[in-house]
Amino acid sequence: MTFRTRLLLIFTLAVVASVGVVELLVQKATRREFERMDAARSDALVTQFRKEFDRRSQEVVRAVGGIGRSDSALNIAISPDPTSFYGEAGELAAAHSLDLLELVAGDGAIVSSAEWPARFGYREDWLVEHGDWREGQAFLRRAELPDGVTLALAAVSTVTAGDRKLFVVGGQQLDQAFLSSLVLPDGMRALLYRSLQPKFAAEQMLGPGPRSAELRALVEDTLARKRERYRIVGRGADAESFHALPLAGYDGAALGALLIGSSRRGLAELESKQLRYGIEVAAFGILMSVALGAWATARVTRPVERLARSATAVAAGNWDTTVEVTSGDEIGRLALAFNRMTEELMAQRERLVQAERVAAWRELARRLAHELKNPLFPLQITVENMQRARSQYPEQFDEVFREGSQTLLAELGNLKQIVARFSDFAKMPAPEMQPLDFNRLIGETMKLFEAQLARAGIAAREELDPAAPTVMADPEQMTRALRNLILNAIDAMPQGGTLTVRTRRLGPGLRLEVADTGQGLTPEECGRLFTPYYTTKTHGTGLGLAIVQSVVSDHHGRISVAGAPGKGATFQIDLGDRTG
Amino acid sequence: MCSRWLAVYSLLALAGLPLAQAATRPRYGGVLRVEIRENIESVDPPDSGTGLADLMGAFSITRWEAGLRATYAADNNAPGGRPFVDAVEVRMGRPLRDQSIDLEVGKADVIELGAGESRRGAAGRKIWMSAPVRIVALVFGPRVEDARIREGLALAVDRTAILNVLLQRQGEISGALLPQWISGYAFLFQPAADLGRARTLIAAAPPGARNLSLGVEDGGLRAMADRVALNARDAGLTVTTAPQGNAGDVRLVDAQVASSDPARALAGIAAALGLIVPARMENAEAVYNAERAVLEGFRVVPLFHLPDVYGAGPRVRGAAGISPLGQWKFGNVWLEGDRP
Repeated sequence: MTFRTRLLLIFTLAVVASVGVVELLVQKATRREFERMDAARSDALVTQFRKEFDRRSQEVVRAVGGIGRSDSALNIAISPDPTSFYGEAGELAAAHSLDLLELVAGDGAIVSSAEWPARFGYREDWLVEHGDWREGQAFLRRAELPDGVTLALAAVSTVTAGDRKLFVVGGQQLDQAFLSSLVLPDGMRALLYRSLQPKFAAEQMLGPGPRSAELRALVEDTLARKRERYRIVGRGADAESFHALPLAGYDGAALGALLIGSSRRGLAELESKQLRYGIEVAAFGILMSVALGAWATARVTRPVERLARSATAVAAGNWDTTVEVTSGDEIGRLALAFNRMTEELMAQRERLVQAERVAAWRELARRLAHELKNPLFPLQITVENMQRARSQYPEQFDEVFREGSQTLLAELGNLKQIVARFSDFAKMPAPEMQPLDFNRLIGETMKLFEAQLARAGIAAREELDPAAPTVMADPEQMTRALRNLILNAIDAMPQGGTLTVRTRRLGPGLRLEVADTGQGLTPEECGRLFTPYYTTKTHGTGLGLAIVQSVVSDHHGRISVAGAPGKGATFQIDLGDRTG
Repeated sequence: MCSRWLAVYSLLALAGLPLAQAATRPRYGGVLRVEIRENIESVDPPDSGTGLADLMGAFSITRWEAGLRATYAADNNAPGGRPFVDAVEVRMGRPLRDQSIDLEVGKADVIELGAGESRRGAAGRKIWMSAPVRIVALVFGPRVEDARIREGLALAVDRTAILNVLLQRQGEISGALLPQWISGYAFLFQPAADLGRARTLIAAAPPGARNLSLGVEDGGLRAMADRVALNARDAGLTVTTAPQGNAGDVRLVDAQVASSDPARALAGIAAALGLIVPARMENAEAVYNAERAVLEGFRVVPLFHLPDVYGAGPRVRGAAGISPLGQWKFGNVWLEGDRP
């Protein structure tokens, strides 16, 4: 991945992350604000319900108190035979706008019932058991009706006449009409659950809308704990938050629950819109960030890319490469430093080349002097012997001349051979590539050296990788390189040792190793070993390893040497081209 | 004429009215306005039974609007002499409450009174009450096959509470079809109330049989039906009162005792309630056996014997307008003062 791509990616990710974080924060803030508003609306509705409840309570208390203070109630209370007042409750209830009214004798027997006239004579023992009914207080109670049980807001008034007593129990049903009196804002609804049966019954949920069954858990929890509860019911746009308030009877038992439901559709739609806007903003931001990022990163990375290209060119050997300096910032200073560096490199290289050239000439002169001195000295001695024999021993001159001539010819042959070797190095031909099985090449070459190795007391080992690939190479030149390496190893082990030749697959190419157990090399020797005419031996031209390096270089390979004094040396040749 | 006045005085004495009031001189004229609950939808005026048919003889029909009103004019050639009033105008289909209001405001002279009304007598109102001549009973239909259900309901009904409160002690509790004053043996059919046994019997019945509908033919019996349903619920039955006009599994009905003769009375009641009794009942024992046979099996459960009760306005003078059997006797009634 390029620097520009990375920069662009980072830029884009930063924009997306920023938009995402902002979106998240906005959504959280919106949700919090919605919850606050929802709670405020619910509180307002609960307050309204309580006010309505109190108002209805006062109405019931007033109505029941009015009946209790009426002459009718007093007549019933003092009547020795209250059975004739069987129908009285119905008329009184209608006159005082009460849904429910029972006139109950002091012993608890119903004298008259408006809601269930047939219940005369039945007992309402809870009235007698409670005993002390304070006027002015309304409470919730379950009231029996012919068609079931209902929940009512009730009050009790006690009429006392001498030793006679009459309970007036009246009230209004908590029903749909009661809920209808609540003014509900849009999106809110009020439900009333009447706990008239031991278990939850969906039909006892009064109020508009569905979900009676889904509210079961909330209702049961509210009734069990007798505390206000809150729960969200449903999902998505259909979700509703419900505040549930327990409604207690005169004895503290939870007889019902008021549920204030608030639709979360608004929140869901708001969140949906926010999400859509967020995605649109993010998409726009991404596009903008990509465009701006591409422009910005191009501006930032263009000098860097020029530097990278220049560095690559320098690495490839174009040491005279320079970078255009377009700014005065860090990149500009870096370009200036690069240019100075390449100029310095060029200068150093020039100096090095010159020094190497001088050193090479010196080495060549030394080597030539050394090589030529060896045959010249016997030539000089032989000529001097022939001159001394002619002047001092003329009778022996012919014999000396014959022997001297032979020596001169032999040494001249040596001189000729030296010249030929130098000539060969100068005339290294271009390789003729063909698929080459190195394992086979190594086997054939090693056979040629078997006798020589045996004489030198060197054990030969071949560790050849059967999976080693065939490589495009010139067999003749490779044989020559391998021979030079083997000869070099033999020379490094005058006291004998082990010569190991290895091959192994190296990716698509091949690695060839020639290792000896000889005297080893110093780091300096390792550095100069492939320099032409350099040798650590007392004989030789110093061209063997230079020829090997030249062959490997011509095959686009790489040669290296590793070793330490006393631990032998290992030559590695890596050849990368693979042919089928 | 003198003998007629003597008869009037003797009747007033029998009705227990003060002689000062009764001593008002009778006068002819005026229209006696009578209101009844019943809607008589027949094409012609009825010529049998109690009520309108009783007018025949002393009066003759002059106008007949089925279900609405009927006008009878005094017959100058009536066997007992011309009635005092010129005519009797009968309005039909008037609810008891409306009748009571009409009597209060002077729009009616004679009205029917519901239970309890007789004890709330307004000033100047007279009460005409017959002997117990109507039987109120539960009659089970053929769908209620389980005798345990029938007996259970019979045992569950709290007759005393109904009599004391709904009927205001008018009438009498009875387990017999014929009232005691006619048969003389009604006390042998003592009604029993045993809620515990009722529960046991009903609990033993299959659950499907425990749901009944109770039909009420007479709106005046609706409150009684509600109480019966409540009592039945206490015993483990689910009884719903059917809308008026719908026959239920069990019906709360009342039937008029049309004769003081036990055999004829029983036959009349049986016919009214859809029961079967022998065609000929020669003596009291036969009547008793026939009634006993009818009551066995609890197909019919007698509850009460009730009197017919009428209220008469302050303008109405003279003897009681009904006989002990509840028959209308308006021939000896006259009207005081002008019509308001």
